[in-house]
Amino acid sequence: MDPELINDCVHCGFCLPTCPTYVLWGEEMDSPRGRIHLMKQHVEGTPITPEMAGHFDACLGCMACVTACPSGVRYDRLIEQTRAEVERRHVRDPRERAVRGIVFSLFPYPRRLRLLRPTMWLAERLAPFLARADASLGAMAALAPRVERRRRLPRLVRARGQRRAVVGMLTGCVQGEFFPQVNAATARVLSLEGCDVVIPRGQGCCGALSVHSGRDDQARRLARRTVRTFEKAGVDTVVVNAAGCGSSMKEYGELLGREPGFRVVDLSEYLAELGPVAKRHPLPLTVAYHDACHLAHAQGVRAQPRELLSGIPELEIREIPESAVCCGSAGTYNIFQPEAARDLGDRKAAAVATTGAELLVSANPGCTMQIASAMRRAGARIRVAHTAEVLDASLRGVSL
Amino acid sequence: MLETLTAALRSLLPHDSVITDPVRLRTYECDGLTYHRATPGVVVLPDTAEQVARVVRVCNDFGVPFVARGSGTGLSGGALPREDGVLIVTSKMRRILEIDLDNRRAVVEPGVTNLAITEAVRDRGYYYAPDPSSQQVCSIGGNVAENSGGAHCLKYGFTVNHVEACEIVTPDGDLVTLDRMDPGYDLLGAFIGSEGTLGIATKITVRLSRAPETVTTVLAAFESIEQGGLAVSAIIGAGIVPAAIEMMDALAIEAAEAAVACRYPEGAGAVLIVELDGPQAEVERQFTQLTEICSGAFELRVAADAAERAAIWKGRKSAFAAVGRISPAYIVQDGVVPRTSLPGVLAAIDRLSQEHGIRVANVFHAGDGNLHPLVLFDDAEPGAGERAEVVSGAILDLCVEHGGSITGEHGVGVDKARYMPKMFSADDLDTMQLVRCAFDPRGLSNPGKVFPTPRLCGEVPGVRKGVHPLVESGRAEQF
Amino acid sequence: MGVTVRQADADDAVNGVLPRWVALPETVEEVSAVLRACAEQDLAVVPAGGGTKLHWGPPPERCDVLLDMCCMNAVLEHAAGDLVVRAQAGVTMDALAATLADQGQELALDPPFTEYTTVGGTLATATAGPRAFRYGTARDLLIGITVVLPDGTIAKSGGKVVKNVAGYDLGKLFTGSQGTLGVIAEATFRLHPLAAERRWLVAETEVSDDVLLRLAASQAEPSAVEIDCPDGKNATVAVLVEGSAAESRALALREVLGDGTVTAEAPEWWGLILNDDVLLEARFPPARAVEALAAAGEAGLSFRGSAAAGRAYLEGRGDVPEDELAAAVARLRARLEALGGRVNVLATPYAGVDRWGQVSALPLMRRVKERFDPGRRMSPGRFVGGM
Repeated sequence: MDPELINDCVHCGFCLPTCPTYVLWGEEMDSPRGRIHLMKQHVEGTPITPEMAGHFDACLGCMACVTACPSGVRYDRLIEQTRAEVERRHVRDPRERAVRGIVFSLFPYPRRLRLLRPTMWLAERLAPFLARADASLGAMAALAPRVERRRRLPRLVRARGQRRAVVGMLTGCVQGEFFPQVNAATARVLSLEGCDVVIPRGQGCCGALSVHSGRDDQARRLARRTVRTFEKAGVDTVVVNAAGCGSSMKEYGELLGREPGFRVVDLSEYLAELGPVAKRHPLPLTVAYHDACHLAHAQGVRAQPRELLSGIPELEIREIPESAVCCGSAGTYNIFQPEAARDLGDRKAAAVATTGAELLVSANPGCTMQIASAMRRAGARIRVAHTAEVLDASLRGVSL
Repeated sequence: MLETLTAALRSLLPHDSVITDPVRLRTYECDGLTYHRATPGVVVLPDTAEQVARVVRVCNDFGVPFVARGSGTGLSGGALPREDGVLIVTSKMRRILEIDLDNRRAVVEPGVTNLAITEAVRDRGYYYAPDPSSQQVCSIGGNVAENSGGAHCLKYGFTVNHVEACEIVTPDGDLVTLDRMDPGYDLLGAFIGSEGTLGIATKITVRLSRAPETVTTVLAAFESIEQGGLAVSAIIGAGIVPAAIEMMDALAIEAAEAAVACRYPEGAGAVLIVELDGPQAEVERQFTQLTEICSGAFELRVAADAAERAAIWKGRKSAFAAVGRISPAYIVQDGVVPRTSLPGVLAAIDRLSQEHGIRVANVFHAGDGNLHPLVLFDDAEPGAGERAEVVSGAILDLCVEHGGSITGEHGVGVDKARYMPKMFSADDLDTMQLVRCAFDPRGLSNPGKVFPTPRLCGEVPGVRKGVHPLVESGRAEQF
Repeated sequence: MGVTVRQADADDAVNGVLPRWVALPETVEEVSAVLRACAEQDLAVVPAGGGTKLHWGPPPERCDVLLDMCCMNAVLEHAAGDLVVRAQAGVTMDALAATLADQGQELALDPPFTEYTTVGGTLATATAGPRAFRYGTARDLLIGITVVLPDGTIAKSGGKVVKNVAGYDLGKLFTGSQGTLGVIAEATFRLHPLAAERRWLVAETEVSDDVLLRLAASQAEPSAVEIDCPDGKNATVAVLVEGSAAESRALALREVLGDGTVTAEAPEWWGLILNDDVLLEARFPPARAVEALAAAGEAGLSFRGSAAAGRAYLEGRGDVPEDELAAAVARLRARLEALGGRVNVLATPYAGVDRWGQVSALPLMRRVKERFDPGRRMSPGRFVGGM
């Protein structure tokens, strides 16, 4: 933990209301300001106590505080350093170790995930029983999405009409296995907007899950593989449709000590930059757009997705109250901190419900899974979609 | 004794609402002013007014001091804890209990943030007028304790002008309602701004204001701070009461640019933010006058919409924390001078800055003469902190000499208590102390704040005769 | 000492209680000297300004010295550029207004009896006028005060800058304290520029809460929304608009009211108290103004005041016997308190009328009184709870 970065904090507290755990519990030590204070205590010689580790673990890593901070404190870097320090120094209890072991040996590996696909229908039924045995396992099962038939994407999708660009596309691990339709939509939208889309085989996890949990070595291994894959494909721009992956890939330079040979952009960021050419067909829908933390806070991409959506005729966007506060999904958070995640999910679901929108749109599959499941708990239903799917429907003139 | 006290507190509150773990306690060691620190003996996070009252009664049983804290954003150390006492944090009490637009009021718990009130009623054309720069985080309970102002208090007044009633827990643990409607002494007026020394607000009824028909925000860039200061005097002199007049000097602009890229006109020695609001016809007339007055400005920007207005304000509102970008450490002062003295005082501050080799950035509420000089220094440089302290104290002297005040909105707290005798005579302070003694005869509610050397209640001014029985019994202490 | 003191005569009686002496101090130090002397002799003191409201409140338990502040009538400092004025307590409101008007400014208070009422008296009684809706009451415009305590101590709080949070605000405490804590000697106020134009929209009309609320909430920003109903039946509504384009804004408000004429003259009853033999002050939630109006009428009282601010003066009509008035007040109070309002009897010739209702903070108020005036010598018995 870098003391210089810690000292940047002037203790003004502007981060407090944006922090999901502070919003839930109202306690200083579960706010960014409080956590930075804990880091400072540790740097000054206080060993990591289980209490201290608990407050770091409770951080969702949503980075809303980074957006809110007027002093420019790099909390994102601080919490990553801190998580690594916790992993090095702190011995977790056996139950925690077991759950973390399962998650980190499963999620970053698409092939292992693929093996789970046939069991997904079971997960929903098993969830209540698992929850009784262990809250984290229960949460993992309850989140399981209904998986669509997997479609294998070609290595290259040609641009329709005049070619304007060539881009690489990340398929991701969770996105690729559980939400193949989002990847298909992404490829189609890019192609309809005049891009040759290169989709290299052998892509794995980009390393985001590991970075966010302080597993540095695993993160670097996965990152290096991803960089190699795209450098070999020879693209200078890689488009990412999952917010969590995009934010980590944009930081590859810091993680690996060298900049990769390509630029990483979020899909909406890229499309806004490119400008629309394909015809938009009307979609008469009311849409609540949810800011995924890793897009809005970590990448600062807020205006572009709204701009793209509002470019669709007859589509009405409604803003969600408290939009800056995380939904509680936050990568693996809903698995490691099921109670807090659930409370945040309920809060966000209630906020989404006030919009009265028919469709919830977000750039992160974790968020939509989390919010939809919270809305189901509350007895409400809302359809969910990725920004790419909405654009795809409009461009192709089909209904969602 | 703290152990038995803690046991008593645990019997009153849910388990996780009483914090005793030393690592956790330390995160509460200071508020927004980090210069003063003290690890609280115990922290409690009550959920209801009744719980606050019970905690205060236990403190009374043990003769232990207590300090209330909201969001911990205060800039005078008003919520500095006591190592031998209980810190009562109201951040879990954040329900908006009632919104009554017909009667233009809302009833809220003390932990509700200032901005949350406005957000709850904005859609319906209302807002809560006081707007301290920290409004998205500071709590209404803290606003009541400090009588917070903000940029728009030039026209609309302070917290005290917008609070209709408070339910408070008195320093001896009773729940009492102070209501503007009640006959009798205006204890509500005395309570607001008493910095937690007269009790703890547990429920607050605020007045809501109707949103104005039109808001026009103007950014005027001047070559020098003197020109900016003259423009301020001319605006007031012309009989315009804008909603806000804010000024930033070149150094403050530099910090804000670094933090939020506010894109203020390049090369400005000072920028003035003037906000006019009210009925359209009124605003139009004032705007015409304003453009004439600001004819010396080299650039005049008018916000065309809410987004542009927000962009203009962004630089100003983030200026304090942004100073962290241009200086490793700083002291922020809060003195006030009569508006007509602004140019002279600013020139004097500049001289002080040069004499001591200490940079001073000026960000202030120019319309009401409330300076926020940011005295910058490098805490790694030997002697720099002391020099900054000297400059900072000299600025307060200037304010008092010009008939102003040592604090316009941050409060006296622990930080400026020693400056109180510059502004008030011993008789003035003793008279204020009468109010303190009426509310808090045992001196348990936030002791050590506001007053430099408070006497024990019942003590006659003059030579101290031996040890007071309360001190002897450990129920009070001498300062 | 050099303070002018004379024997009191019948005209100096405070609500029927005749003091022995009248002291006429000319400076703060002289006020202090008088109070110190009174403290030594255990003499009870009642401070007085223009004497317009001296018969309000219960008679004092005892009154040895009437402290007549009439000689402290200097406007000490009008800093026009700072929109601030400092004045001695004995300056009449009209005299102050004349001084300020020279520089195009005003103290935006319009209490009754401005010809005689003084700065100190206005503060001590906290009387409010129509424009309290926009500008607040005396306590909201007061930024500094100098007071003299019963033992002669001179103390000040606040200052002469509009923004100031240093120390406790003694000004708030003394505003409305009816001379029971000490003597207000000097006061500093924040000022406003005199409005370029003023228009009143006046209509004799049936009023509804809905219309009154829409008037008050209008973005035409009226400065006052008043109702006058002398007989419990026929009400007049008057709305004041100040500033640029007052005429067109008043016309916009007429759309809301549905009726009325726009004039540059205030209605003749504007901001006045016409009969204060029996005078009540009603407080009520603004959204229940019509019910408060009806309740006053049923109690046999007139109603004049601010629908928007929820405050009105109710005057007695003709001679009403003591028990009848007491019963009427009790009924009215019960009704308004049920709405969240209050009824205070400001003036009555009868001892048997309960002047104040329940006050939650009364024990705290008593403790304040004990600290400031332990000898109970300042206007004893004139205030809430017999303080």
